[in-house]
Amino acid sequence: MKKTNEDWEAKLHVHKRHLPAGGFGARLFPEFEKRAKAAAAEVLRVKTSVEAVEFVLTIARQAGARKVVSVESPLLKQAGLKSAFASAGIDFYDSQEEIATYAPTADIGISGVEFGIAESGSVCQDAYAIESRLVSTLPPTHIVFLDSNLIVPGLSEAFAILSKAFDHGYVTFITGPSRTADIEVVLTIGVHGPVRLVIIAIDECPKEGESAQ
Amino acid sequence: MNEKKRNIHKEISEKLLEEPLRVNLGKFSERYPATRAAALENAGDVEALREAIKKMKADTVDRIDEVAARFEAEATKRGVKVFRARNGDEVKSYIFELCKQHDVKRIIKSKSMASEEIDLSPYLRQNGLHVCESDMGEWIIDLAGHRPSHMVIPAIHLSRFQVAELFSKEMGRELSPDIPLMIQSAREYLRQEFLNADMGITGANFGIAENGAIGLVTNEGNARFATTLPRIHVVVMGYEKLLPQMTDAGLILKLLPRGATGQIMTSYTTFIGGPSPMIVRRGDKWVEETREMHIILLDNNRLKAAKDEKFKEVFQCVRCGSCLNVCPVYTIVGGHVYGGHTYAGGIGAILTAMTSGMADFEKFHELCIGCRRCVEVCPGKINIPGLIEELRVRAVKEHGLPFVTRQLFENVMANRKVFHALLRAASITMKPFASGKDKTLIRHLPLFFSGLAKDRSLPTIAEKPLRDRVKAVIKKPAHTTGRAAFFSGCTMDFVLPETGEAIITVLEDLGYEVVFPIEQSCCGKPVGATGDLETARKIALLNVQAFDAEPADVIVSGCPTCVETLESYGELLKDNPDWRDKAAVFSGKVKEFSSFVAAEYEKKGRLLKTTGGPAVTYHDSCHLKRVLGVSEAPRKLLEAAGCELREMKDSDKCCGMSGVFGLKYVELSMKILAQKMHNVQDTGAEIVACACSGCMVQLQGGIDKQLPGIRMKHIADILAERLKEKERPENRENPKRTLMTGASTTKDESAA
Repeated sequence: MKKTNEDWEAKLHVHKRHLPAGGFGARLFPEFEKRAKAAAAEVLRVKTSVEAVEFVLTIARQAGARKVVSVESPLLKQAGLKSAFASAGIDFYDSQEEIATYAPTADIGISGVEFGIAESGSVCQDAYAIESRLVSTLPPTHIVFLDSNLIVPGLSEAFAILSKAFDHGYVTFITGPSRTADIEVVLTIGVHGPVRLVIIAIDECPKEGESAQ
Repeated sequence: MNEKKRNIHKEISEKLLEEPLRVNLGKFSERYPATRAAALENAGDVEALREAIKKMKADTVDRIDEVAARFEAEATKRGVKVFRARNGDEVKSYIFELCKQHDVKRIIKSKSMASEEIDLSPYLRQNGLHVCESDMGEWIIDLAGHRPSHMVIPAIHLSRFQVAELFSKEMGRELSPDIPLMIQSAREYLRQEFLNADMGITGANFGIAENGAIGLVTNEGNARFATTLPRIHVVVMGYEKLLPQMTDAGLILKLLPRGATGQIMTSYTTFIGGPSPMIVRRGDKWVEETREMHIILLDNNRLKAAKDEKFKEVFQCVRCGSCLNVCPVYTIVGGHVYGGHTYAGGIGAILTAMTSGMADFEKFHELCIGCRRCVEVCPGKINIPGLIEELRVRAVKEHGLPFVTRQLFENVMANRKVFHALLRAASITMKPFASGKDKTLIRHLPLFFSGLAKDRSLPTIAEKPLRDRVKAVIKKPAHTTGRAAFFSGCTMDFVLPETGEAIITVLEDLGYEVVFPIEQSCCGKPVGATGDLETARKIALLNVQAFDAEPADVIVSGCPTCVETLESYGELLKDNPDWRDKAAVFSGKVKEFSSFVAAEYEKKGRLLKTTGGPAVTYHDSCHLKRVLGVSEAPRKLLEAAGCELREMKDSDKCCGMSGVFGLKYVELSMKILAQKMHNVQDTGAEIVACACSGCMVQLQGGIDKQLPGIRMKHIADILAERLKEKERPENRENPKRTLMTGASTTKDESAA
């Protein structure tokens, strides 16, 4: 899958050195969670990717989902997402062909994000791959996986990282679900983009090559 | 001369009757200040951020050619086709050609003000293309055939019922006026438009020179759709969106969503650098290909503005609409009366002058009342009223003033004797200029000639002006600390002479010997504000000469607008070799009454809070607070005089007078005044105090009609009364008994 940057984490860690102790990472999570919720995102914090998969299944069942599209990522693969959906009897699609075919009618889209911003409760999505954009725009529910250790304090840090990580590509800071107040200034959630944004933050994210079990 | 004459008064009256506009805009602007403040709570040092944005944008415009060249080069390097369009026609033919080449039939648009500015969609439709707006508000007004009435909420002037009608007609089925249901239906309907579109047209909030990327700030997600599904992406953006670096966009984003809607970040903030992958059906297979991306940089006079020493400031605009959200006029009438253009409000007047020319500017610049609330919130720190004044000066240079106004300025305002004779005549006949052709005349006279209005009484011209009273009032104090020359201003001279007397009393109590140069005249603001600097210079010279004849240590005035004008004499007369030095000395001596007295009280240890006086609410004059930066001093003086200060909501929101505006747009002025009266009433105070004679006339007019029982006083009146109370023998012996102890009965009356 195409990416704007192949190693966001390295960029984050380079930036981390410039920040005071406690100015980066999981300590900022409570603030991130508060701001994300204020922007109408749902936030679930879990310890392991196995727990994360359980939550995703619960959400899918509660929503009565029958069709799920997901990007392929090492994290999601290792979390055993595909087999979990198979055993739950919910259609799960993660190849480019399948995503292109089923994203317009899927109930849930799943993708990963690179980091979170405490100041605004935003998540940074590398959306260069067409798959990641299709799963995050078309289905009414968008679930993202976030490493809870990768939280930056504010917008200025986020843009300092972006300026190093972005040469060309497509990146979106997502903050809550799609919204409008265009009729009578009444806030209404879910216009073109997802009606729900669920952020699943994982404390112990398996790194590439590691096993989730 | 003015062939397409618009009846702006009629348009305003109609807007005031539009219920949905009033309700929606009222709702939004009512909660805006609190929402914005809440969003700014974790933004850090807001003033430092504004300063940084201003500096970054100002530096960028100074090297706009270089920044644009870099942007073009970097975007081209990454595979984008960049086209520089001199005007709207070039944009239109470029896009139309593109459509022909690539067999484009259907276009989906996300919000782009630059494309609205050049009427892109109507052109493409005329040429047989299917164009659909996807921003919810833009789509609604497009269905209605309207223009946007707000920068971020374009359909704010429509009700849910009107929207339901439009949607039902478009979708061919009956929709109930239930907002979530309508949004859901629109979502489904527009989804097909996205999936079937061949081309997506977007605007851009940023163009980043270092990597050729564009930034898009949206809430609905439509820009992501328009740049993900169609096979061609076209960006239409103005040069003012260009920034040197990615981090500059981060800086703007600290304040842009917070100022626009009170959000810390909008739902989607996207950066696209170079063409991105897309997926297309080829036969029975999906194939990943690279989307074509075009960026059109629209000039439309922007580059000319960028080279203009004053005008280039407009490049500091980040299109957040904060200025509109706090504008006392805009929040009442909405965007449509500003000429049906893309850009509304004060900033709209300037942007319109830039993109459509001065003729359009001249139609609605007067709706800026110069209250400067916008200057306080603008992320780019643009001096919007200042730029409008500058544009007025240029308009007068270019086209001159209307004949009657010019005659009036040259023959009356520049001649004190004629002018004052006219004022004296007015005190006898009382309603001398209230009708007929004289109305034009009134508008440019000092504000107390205002027309009679249903909700505001006609100010009375005093039988005996201050200038005829001073001899009897001025006493030579036993010991003097200095000499103070009093500049009364027309209003205090001819309408509020008692307040003028109060000022003299307060200054004398401070030990000043007061002089009143009898040759003083109008400060010249009503003239200068129209852009006629030539007459303003003549008036300035008269005053400098009058005060030169009676030298003093300070020149005190109780009218902040006069103070502001007097302070500008040095600059105004800088090309007059005989008088420039004296004009500079004059300007240097000018003191605003309340801040001057507060400082003197402080020196004497008299600026202490006391109690026992009446409940007073204080109105901040726009010019006093935001031009002269004085807001604490009058409050401290009130407390020193024993008043119980009760703050009103929006104490620093304009009272609606503002010179020409209050007279020319009486109806609108009355709406603004009514809000003020409502806020005054809510405090339960029995006195409204202010430190501006102009506001006093407007507020007194409103109180007379709407709040009988409440009294209007200048800070000077209150201080002088306090001094007189102290003078009374019984109080001398018992200093604890302070003034106005009978206040409680008045309070009961006003509450009844």
